[in-house]
Amino acid sequence: MIFKWFDERLEIEKFKAKFLRKTFPSHPTFLLGELALFSFITLVMTGVFLGFLYEPSTKMVSLFGAMVPAAYASVVRIDLLPMGLIVRRIHHWSAMLMIAAILAHLMRIYFSSAYRKPREINWLAGLGLWGLTMFAAFTGYLLPYSQFSVTATSIAYFISKSVPWVGDWMSRLLFAGEFPSEATVPRFFFMHVMLIPAALIGLIGLHLVILVKQKHTEPPANKNRKEAQGGKRLIGLPIWPEQGVISMSFYLFLLFVIVLVSTYIPLNPVETYGPPSPGTPVMRPDWYFLPIYGFLKLIPGDLSFSILGGKITPETIGGVIFPGFLVLVFASIPFLDRAKGPQPYMANPLRRPFMTSFGIAGGVFLCMDVVAGYIDVLHIAPQTMIIYTILATLAAGGISFALLRLYNGKRGNDVT
Amino acid sequence: MVERDAGTTEGKAGITRRRFTLGVLVASLLGAAGSVLTLLKVLSPEKQGGGYVTTIRPGDRLVYARGGETGVTVRASSMKVGDAVLVYPSSKASNPANLVQLIRLKETDLKPPTNIGLTDQGFVAYSAICTHLGCTVSWVENQKSPDASYTECFCHNSIFDPARGAKVMGGPAPIPLAQIGVKVTGEGALIFTSDFTGPIGPQV
Ligand code: HEM
Ligand code: FES
Repeated sequence: MIFKWFDERLEIEKFKAKFLRKTFPSHPTFLLGELALFSFITLVMTGVFLGFLYEPSTKMVSLFGAMVPAAYASVVRIDLLPMGLIVRRIHHWSAMLMIAAILAHLMRIYFSSAYRKPREINWLAGLGLWGLTMFAAFTGYLLPYSQFSVTATSIAYFISKSVPWVGDWMSRLLFAGEFPSEATVPRFFFMHVMLIPAALIGLIGLHLVILVKQKHTEPPANKNRKEAQGGKRLIGLPIWPEQGVISMSFYLFLLFVIVLVSTYIPLNPVETYGPPSPGTPVMRPDWYFLPIYGFLKLIPGDLSFSILGGKITPETIGGVIFPGFLVLVFASIPFLDRAKGPQPYMANPLRRPFMTSFGIAGGVFLCMDVVAGYIDVLHIAPQTMIIYTILATLAAGGISFALLRLYNGKRGNDVT
Repeated sequence: MVERDAGTTEGKAGITRRRFTLGVLVASLLGAAGSVLTLLKVLSPEKQGGGYVTTIRPGDRLVYARGGETGVTVRASSMKVGDAVLVYPSSKASNPANLVQLIRLKETDLKPPTNIGLTDQGFVAYSAICTHLGCTVSWVENQKSPDASYTECFCHNSIFDPARGAKVMGGPAPIPLAQIGVKVTGEGALIFTSDFTGPIGPQV
């Protein structure tokens, strides 16, 4: 009855036949993208809750007799509400999970070479989603306005200021003038709850539309079956109901895990950090910023020079050139490793010694930068750490390349 | 018919419809770009009362910047050799650029490039804002041999030698922390006697 009423107006039947019967190939790693999407949905839901209670202002107010910024006070009050602390932790844990899922998803695409023709555009869209998500997390970080928030944001402020030529203007645009000032929190709040989520939703939409249009890559095992059928259709599960039910149970399970983790494992305890105060204790950023944080520690202080009126300082090298270079490498991958025709199947990483060992070397390099973030507790000198990093990267790449060549040579495979 | 005419009367009128439209388009794009630039300018204000511009003046009294005694005058007698504290000039605590690390060393340990004239009875003071990315520096105290204590920024582990003009001993900081003159008054309090000897805060 109700269905008919809607169907007569919205042609749901037609939508069902056209869209919901589309095939989603099955492979466990294909759920990684969904994992990122589901974390985002959780973030929006918890974020809306927090948005009702959070106060984006650094005006000093009294909280239990002490004068603290209003933003900080509002977060402490959220934590005191029934379920408030848990919702805040769910928000933060989901942010971590979303970035982890994006990275795992990216690795899946990379090692199965799914970025090749025709999917170059979606690779770039994916990188954009990753960047936006990191930016969302970064702007969210300032909001509680604890000692930790302010230190982290201040570091980022000076990094953005160290961009050659445009840094000064860029930092003022981003931070609404100089940091710290009372204008930054309202601007970050707007970007965090409105601008970035809107951009994320738009880009996720584009990502998915392109995916549907270009079709998903299929596991190579589908190849024979498909040729036997002589068909062009993907082999997998229809989106509704089969894949839809799998995804929904997956999401519910994910929610269960996130709530469980948030109940028992604290994250960003703003009450422990306290409101902004002089003095900076040892503090490390969330894990996804650790490679940049570690890399910053490796740059010797006397390494600065200027070209064409732009000043290059250790901050510029560690905070701007290094991440910029990473982005450039990631973005150029599909244009350097090209395929002649469209690639309907996932490639076998074992058969691609160069790309696979390059990926492993890159991963090891980033992990070594994370380790570099801990040289103070490991008691390693920066110079020594630089040597370790280079050696580990070269060794990982070289050894995996040699092993893969050996493996394929033994089996008489041709490699690409 | 009329449209066709417009296309073929080029010679007479000297301008075609296409060129006219293009001209209007380019002009409006330029105008739009101009207004966006203006908007960006509005959105990136020059000053918001932040930044690292110190307001310390010679004669300002040193007070504790943190801990239970925040705001209380620092007494020379309360610091022994090897101690260090974070201080502000009294009643100017709202400006983070005023944060200073006051250290007491053995007078004979102070070596150039420390400006000895700006020290008094082993008291030496430096800006507490790390010249790398602006964290506050900390004092790493060595209980056994006080002269082996040093100043470290825990953010990216820049290390400064307080006995040698806060020279960078390691880590990413590009320049030393700027020194500032201090002196013990007759009542045993401390006052600033000069400006910072160099730039403070991150060098970007
Ligand atoms: C519509 C979407 C979102 C809304 C409305 C929203 C809202 C908020 C609000 C109001 C806060 C401040 C309260 C607090 O700190 O607990 C916050 C903090 C935060 N947000 Fe979001 N957010 C959204 C999406 C995201 C996304 C996509 C990410 C990152 C992937 C993210 C990461 C964070 C982080 C890391 C914090 C700091 C949390 C903490 O204090 O531990 N948020 N968010
Ligand atoms: S901010 Fe002090 S070492 Fe980076």
